[in-house]
Amino acid sequence: MTHDFPRPWQAAYGSEIAPDLAPSAHHSIAHLVSASTHAFGKRRAFTCVVPNGMNGSLSYAQVGAMSDAFASFLRHHCKLAPGARVAVQLPNGLAYPVAVFGAFKAGCVLVNTNPLYTPDEMIHQFRDSGAEVLVISDMFADKLAEVIPQTQIRHVVLAGVPEFFPRVPEAVVRGVQKVWNRNLPPVPALNVPVLRIRAALKLGRGLPAVTDWDALRPDDLALLQYTGGTTGVAKGAMLTHGNILANIDQVKAMGARYMTGEDVILTALPLYHIFAFTANLMVFFELGARNILVPSPRPVQNIQRALENYPVTWITGVNTLFNGLMNEEWFAAFPPKHLKAAIAGGTALHEAVAARWHSITGTRIAEGYGLTETAPLVSFNPLDQPVRVGSIGIPAPGTDVVLVNDQAEPVAQGEAGELIVRGPQVMRGYWNRPDETEKTLQNGWVFTGDVAVMDEDGYLKIVDRKKDMVLVSGFNVYPNEVEDCLSKMDSVLEAAVIGVPDKGTGEAVRAYVVQNPDVAAQITKEDVVAHCRKHLAAYKVPRSVIIRDELPKSPIGKILRKDLKAEVRAEFAKGA
Amino acid sequence: MLTELETTLLGIMMMVIMLGMGASMTPRDFRIAFRKPKGILVGLLSQFAVMPFLGFLLAVGLGLPPALVVGLLLIACMPGGTTSNIFAYFSKGVLALSIMMTVVSTLVAVAMVPLLLSFYGGLAGVTGDFAIPPGNVAQILVVLLIPTILGMGLRKLNPNIGATIELIGSFMGVVVILFLIASWVPRNYQLLLDTGFPIYFATIGIGLIGMLFGYWVARGLGQDTNRSRTISLETGIQNGPLAVLVITLTFTGAMQQEVLLIPVLYSLFIVLSSTAITLWYRRNATREALARDAAKLGVETR
Repeated sequence: MTHDFPRPWQAAYGSEIAPDLAPSAHHSIAHLVSASTHAFGKRRAFTCVVPNGMNGSLSYAQVGAMSDAFASFLRHHCKLAPGARVAVQLPNGLAYPVAVFGAFKAGCVLVNTNPLYTPDEMIHQFRDSGAEVLVISDMFADKLAEVIPQTQIRHVVLAGVPEFFPRVPEAVVRGVQKVWNRNLPPVPALNVPVLRIRAALKLGRGLPAVTDWDALRPDDLALLQYTGGTTGVAKGAMLTHGNILANIDQVKAMGARYMTGEDVILTALPLYHIFAFTANLMVFFELGARNILVPSPRPVQNIQRALENYPVTWITGVNTLFNGLMNEEWFAAFPPKHLKAAIAGGTALHEAVAARWHSITGTRIAEGYGLTETAPLVSFNPLDQPVRVGSIGIPAPGTDVVLVNDQAEPVAQGEAGELIVRGPQVMRGYWNRPDETEKTLQNGWVFTGDVAVMDEDGYLKIVDRKKDMVLVSGFNVYPNEVEDCLSKMDSVLEAAVIGVPDKGTGEAVRAYVVQNPDVAAQITKEDVVAHCRKHLAAYKVPRSVIIRDELPKSPIGKILRKDLKAEVRAEFAKGA
Repeated sequence: MLTELETTLLGIMMMVIMLGMGASMTPRDFRIAFRKPKGILVGLLSQFAVMPFLGFLLAVGLGLPPALVVGLLLIACMPGGTTSNIFAYFSKGVLALSIMMTVVSTLVAVAMVPLLLSFYGGLAGVTGDFAIPPGNVAQILVVLLIPTILGMGLRKLNPNIGATIELIGSFMGVVVILFLIASWVPRNYQLLLDTGFPIYFATIGIGLIGMLFGYWVARGLGQDTNRSRTISLETGIQNGPLAVLVITLTFTGAMQQEVLLIPVLYSLFIVLSSTAITLWYRRNATREALARDAAKLGVETR
């Protein structure tokens, strides 16, 4: 693939977006962090809000000083070499930016880890990455006894949800956690030193400052971001400083003039996930804006005080989060007044959700598309252009996107093909997995496994995951399309569609639906089928409909079709 | 009688409790709750219709002397106590509904308690020295509304201070009961020994029968089992210390001690009986949750 690829979407950039991506003003994330903490000094950078409204804040200057201390702790106390891996396993909170920025300033490689991982998953990720220091939430300290002996981790640092809150609120939240919620387990005896983060910072302040981050370059490795990817085994996408820096500028192009240092962004999605890591943490920290961190968005009620008490101007979310918010009385009755727009990603945004969001908040949800391997943004809907329903927008500046067939040849304009991406945000490969890298990354192009179509203006529409497609008597059925149709029924809160083996048609469409609790009318299978008949071609209408109380979801709220498929496999294995 | 210092202390503690109660919510929570007010209205009904009537029936049925009738009626007419929120939480009830009912019943109490008290007091033939002037009760309640409203504003303006005060308020709810027992029981040792079965029956019964009726009134008006259990606890758990405060500010001397008998005993026994009921409700709530899970599995294996 050496020929030049057309970029039909450039016209849609308009006058606001430069078609080519200028090189970043920074040469590493550490450099960016340092520039922001010096430029914005006393401004509030982060405010963490727990469900009862109690909160703590850090200014840019505080984040700068504390991350400097943490870098000194890592390099001089833990004796980490530049390039060593530091695993951070924290829910959103004030300790997260301190630990993460500290690791970058130490020249270390961040290994973002989901706090809800089981010991087995932790062991896999820590061994695979070779992490030497672990920063973990004290809520999950009980897992350490099993995990630590099986890894190379030499130092453990504990941080709490109310870490760095003023003393009294910190004591109250901790007391409530301990006595009321009982989610502060005792720390087991380990053969490696365990410190609380406050103590680590105190040590770090007494040690020489680390300054050699100045030598970091865009090509240096910044983080290992683990992903199941298309093949299922968790592997670390190697993202460089340059990948993240480029993607920050690409996200900023998307937000155009609507993103400023005066903004207040609600971060309810977990920062250990690449979406919030780049879009919320990095972009808005560079701008000098204020990040409102919510430790856990589930139940959705947990977000209420954060939205009520701060003039939130931006929200990032996934379809299920937006849907969940709108089903809350407090949100629907008093939508945030200062909101400019919301950014959706992670999973397809349903038309019905986008439309309802607009009618409740009066603002748009700009849908973007991305993947871990691209740090993550690939394409977005420019806010200044008219809404294109169901579109994931146009490729970000500096990005090439081509749709290809199974032979990796470009398909004709308007036809569906696998979306492949090339650009400055594309990862270097998978950590220690040349075989997996080879499958996904070819000549600088990432094969996403997503099937898309592109219209004449370059706007992309995801048809579906290549592997999620249902083949009914030779016809392609894309679950997204059927789910979108289902979610337009008032009585349906959420829906998922998968293919199940069928003697007659090879595969048949099966729908899982959840009753909307706010609608009195009960869903019936007959209604669901009748509704689909009206809006879909016959072969796309679900053959079976299952009504559930809830659907399996990932930590950021993506509905997991693969879990439903696994259930079906088990069901068919039993010969049901 | 309680010394002036003790009465003042009691007043201050009540102020703190009310401040904490107010700080459990913001003015906006209040507006949101009233968009779907059915549960709260059902709660108010059982709070101010069922309980006072029950108090009246017990007082008359047991043939209590006037001093005790006043105490029992006063307890029966009181708004919900703040400790009900703790019991609602531990019984896996609907905490938000419990908090809202406590606050709303306290607000409504300003008008309802004087009215109910003079109505049932008249009906039960309480006259002369034993009658509590309605103005007194209204005045005390209005004064206590000030910290309640302050608390709400505080929760909005500074959630760190607001939530801390909420916690101190709940803690104070327990302290005040201990304080009452410590200051009243030693002085009235003999009175306690002389107290007969009917009085214990009235004291313990008002709470338990209130919970029973509260549950079935709520069920009858279409609330689900979980909300009904919450309303039940809320109905049975009255603001005992508030009744004590009203009495100490109205009566003096030996008469005060006598009128205090039922409210003080009630405040003590309601903690014990609510604990027992909470354990039972918690078991029911758990059983229902398990049944729901089982039903879900049934769908899956189909």
